[in-house]
Amino acid sequence: MENPAICEMRGDIIIQAKDVCKSFGHGRIKAVQGVSLDVMRGEVVVIVGPSGSGKSTFLRCINHLESIDSGCMIVDGITLNDEKTNINKIREEVGMVFQHFNLFPHLTVLRNITLAQRVVRGRSSKDAEAIAYDLLEKVGIAEKADAYPAQLSGGQQQRVAIARALAMQPKIMMFDEPTSALDPEMIKEVLDVMLDLAREGMTMIVVSHEMGFARELSDRVVFMDDGRIIEIASPTKLFSNPDHPRIRTFLKKML
Amino acid sequence: MKQDLDRRTPQEGSWAQKLQGLPWWIIILLLAALWIVYSVVGSEKYRDAFLFLIPGMRLTVVLALISFAISLVFGLLAGLGRVSKSKVYFTLATLYVEVIRGIPLLVQILYVAFVIMPGVVVVLNWFGRVVYATGLTPLLSFGYRMAKLSIQDMDMTVRGVAALAFGYGAYEAEIFRAGIEAISKGQMEAARSLGMSYFQAMRYIILPQAIRVIMPPLGNDFIAMLKDTSLVSALAIRELTQLGKLYRGRTFRTFETWNTVAFLYLSMTLILSLLVRGLEKRLSIDRA
Repeated sequence: MENPAICEMRGDIIIQAKDVCKSFGHGRIKAVQGVSLDVMRGEVVVIVGPSGSGKSTFLRCINHLESIDSGCMIVDGITLNDEKTNINKIREEVGMVFQHFNLFPHLTVLRNITLAQRVVRGRSSKDAEAIAYDLLEKVGIAEKADAYPAQLSGGQQQRVAIARALAMQPKIMMFDEPTSALDPEMIKEVLDVMLDLAREGMTMIVVSHEMGFARELSDRVVFMDDGRIIEIASPTKLFSNPDHPRIRTFLKKML
Repeated sequence: MKQDLDRRTPQEGSWAQKLQGLPWWIIILLLAALWIVYSVVGSEKYRDAFLFLIPGMRLTVVLALISFAISLVFGLLAGLGRVSKSKVYFTLATLYVEVIRGIPLLVQILYVAFVIMPGVVVVLNWFGRVVYATGLTPLLSFGYRMAKLSIQDMDMTVRGVAALAFGYGAYEAEIFRAGIEAISKGQMEAARSLGMSYFQAMRYIILPQAIRVIMPPLGNDFIAMLKDTSLVSALAIRELTQLGKLYRGRTFRTFETWNTVAFLYLSMTLILSLLVRGLEKRLSIDRA
């Protein structure tokens, strides 16, 4: 089911990637080879593809966790590879959720969520905590505010991670295989949170193997292989009738 | 066969098992300590030696504490340099670590005391003269004092502490580096992706976790520092070893002197060693 809102919301382009290239090991491993993608405000884009196709690397180029070798990456109007760019400022607007959660183990759930708010956005403890409790309610674990990450299940930890990223009130939320490290019974609770987010109009880029999520809520699906974009299409088209045979083979193996 | 194995492993709850489980090395050392105390109480010579030497322990501990504390500062700065992406910072830190770890500590102590510190005095003299020459009234007395500094004003103890701190800093640097690198990359990535700067990430996320990891190695290095304070006896600083040399020189009681000195060092290091082990156990339980 396509998201009807996208037809009216012809918003501006919030991410502009053009011919982005990234390689590791002095050019030996070409992770991303000439990827171009425009993402609009409020859009939900899901990137799929086999392992090693460069999906995660490309995602990490968007918030500069990986620096691009060539090409152009403009996020929220700011060019990333410009020396004058303050990367930290961009990262405040681009939230990221990792496959392995990466919660801060020495801090309580509450402090995990309030720390960046206080030291990066300069909010007072009171404001930061209010926002934190709101978000914990929203993701459904308000009662765990004073627990430590180690005491939570994987699904709970990932929801805390999502709340932590949302606390910065970013313009874009990126998810790098958010459910790949979770036991099957916990995947739904995380996907439900992501679904809510998408319905509220958040700009989301998700690297995932969860085809169901892609089908239900993405506006566009990007298929990558070997560092390149093979096809970009609406979920209905890509999953039922893709143009490229490579995608057909992949789908046969996945479903 | 099976019978042999059964014979070697005592049965659960039997007194043989309980006997095996005791920390025999501690028991033996405790008994040795008791025997020593007994002979000390009985022997006039040993009592004399102990009374003379025990005060030296105070300076040993004080030297170790101050030098170690300062070495941690050097170590943290150099450790951060060793993981830094800045070529300059990394090179300086690596030079420090490689050079200092390559020279014996005793040689460093002599070098700092008789080469570096006199050099520092010369530089301070020059600096004092420059400050004095500016003619600015509030700085005049400061400048005069700096210009008039002589190497005699530099206490041997100060030189010894400087040498120990600087020498150990190179080792602490590698420990800090190991601690920082032990924290998974994902932590730094998560912190940076929230908009934190490198320094904020270090301060709030990486270093707090790293410090827990490196406490046992730091504890062990402190024990090593305690022993290495004996090297500053080369500067005639009156810590335990130096007092030993003096006592032996005065009384020619070689046997009693060095037995007592060794015993006193051992009593300090063993207690600390047990504490470090206890700390290690508690930290590993928490992490598991």
